[in-house]
Amino acid sequence: MRLAKRILVAEDDPVTARFVGSLLAEHGFDVLVADDGDHALELAADAAPDLIVSDLVMPYRDGYEVLRALRSDPRFRAIPVVILSMRDREEDIVRGFEQGADDYVVKPFNARELVARVKKLLEPRSA
Amino acid sequence: MQRVLVVAILAVAIAFLALTIGIVAGKAWREIRDARRRRRRNALEPIVLGFAHGDAPSILPALGGGVARRDRPVLEAILLDHVQRVRGVERDRLGRILDELGFVESYFAGLSSPRWWIRARAAEHLGLARAKRATPHLLRALDDDSYDVRLRAAKAVAAAGGTAAVAPLAKALSEPNRFSTIRIADILAGMGHPVVRELVDVFPHLTRHGKLAVLDILGRIHPPEAVPWLHERLQEPHRDLRARAAHAIGAIGATASAGVLRAALEDPDWPVRAMAAKGLGRLHDEEAIPQLCAAMRDREWWVRANAGEALRRIGPPGIAALENMLDDEDRYAQHQACLVLESAGVLERRVVELVTPGPAGERAAVLVQRFIRMGQTARLCELAATHRDPVVRGTIARLLPLSGAPQEVAR
Repeated sequence: MRLAKRILVAEDDPVTARFVGSLLAEHGFDVLVADDGDHALELAADAAPDLIVSDLVMPYRDGYEVLRALRSDPRFRAIPVVILSMRDREEDIVRGFEQGADDYVVKPFNARELVARVKKLLEPRSA
Repeated sequence: MQRVLVVAILAVAIAFLALTIGIVAGKAWREIRDARRRRRRNALEPIVLGFAHGDAPSILPALGGGVARRDRPVLEAILLDHVQRVRGVERDRLGRILDELGFVESYFAGLSSPRWWIRARAAEHLGLARAKRATPHLLRALDDDSYDVRLRAAKAVAAAGGTAAVAPLAKALSEPNRFSTIRIADILAGMGHPVVRELVDVFPHLTRHGKLAVLDILGRIHPPEAVPWLHERLQEPHRDLRARAAHAIGAIGATASAGVLRAALEDPDWPVRAMAAKGLGRLHDEEAIPQLCAAMRDREWWVRANAGEALRRIGPPGIAALENMLDDEDRYAQHQACLVLESAGVLERRVVELVTPGPAGERAAVLVQRFIRMGQTARLCELAATHRDPVVRGTIARLLPLSGAPQEVAR
């Protein structure tokens, strides 16, 4: 049985991936890192993460495609997804939510805010 | 002769060999150095990130009390990589490491380098470190001979210096020969509300070029507290200053500005009238509709275009006014109204109502007749040929031939 919540970080920039990975690990999460959209979907299928933090601009499949794939598959539909992107235009953010994101954080990001948002999304939801 | 030839060939061969050995040795050295740096990075990065995520007062104990000279470039690269990607407390803590480990001091020294690229890099890194004590050094670098150094110092001073940086940056707006006004304006606009007071204070001392930039920056920051001051700027003697002030007022969008913008719509200079019209549209000021209709008859195209767009932005009452403008005596106003109604999709929406019985259908028919009377039938002909609803197509086609529209389209 897994005690720590598992978070998949889909991020092609290794520096950001290491930062986010270390940040979330510091807060007790079990972190997996995927460096492109395809890898993210493979890991989502194999490792059953509790939450996904995903960049938008990634090789092979961008964040929107990953989101669409996740939301169209009943296995992943309930997994909360936080978009972490440099794209800060209103239309990008709105599109992210329309595609099924649960939250959107703009880079450069406030680390503690990201952790707070992740924790909030992982809280058991009351009816 | 043969001996000379042999010696020459040998010399060339030895030179090539030495060159090859030099290249291979250099490459090997770089590979070894990079491999070591990667190894050290893997070892040091978790320590740096652990410090950033935690609350320890100093990183030195985690680094064993100090940093080996060979590890300094690795640590610096780690810190500069991460400090650009985060905000808030973690960013401050990463900046603190740059200061604690002496990198900030080395950047101060770099600012005095005779090589401009070293000075530029030092200024950039000081901006990333955001060390408050760097501000005086960076302010001096604003007078550097190199444009690149000045610009990077300007960005850095904005990042590190807070409001202390505003006055020198605002003064730089007046020096378009030494600074790019657009870049400096971007930097100041990016600093947001804290710069407003300083910009207002420095305004009287700036050149017209600088004053225009300040008004532009305020229009981008949207500070409601600057609205009364901007109203006063509508009395500036130069028309460009009044126009830019009107633009900023419209961008801020305070409803209290409606009266002054309506007055500015009567300004003797057309750029001011054009910006006032645009602003009134942003305010959705219905009281301005009669004046905007009058502005549709302005002799300047820009004023007419902005007035038409403003009426569209005001919503249904503005659209109704635009429809009435199709019967105006002024041909230019008619034409502008027609353009706005077409481009805003009003005509397209209205023709659907042609088939609706009652007032909506009658209103649509009136609008179509107005377009036809003006001879503006190109879009109607298109709709008669391509509208998805055959009933609508037929209705438009029946209206068109009566006014002499091309038969092949109206069939």
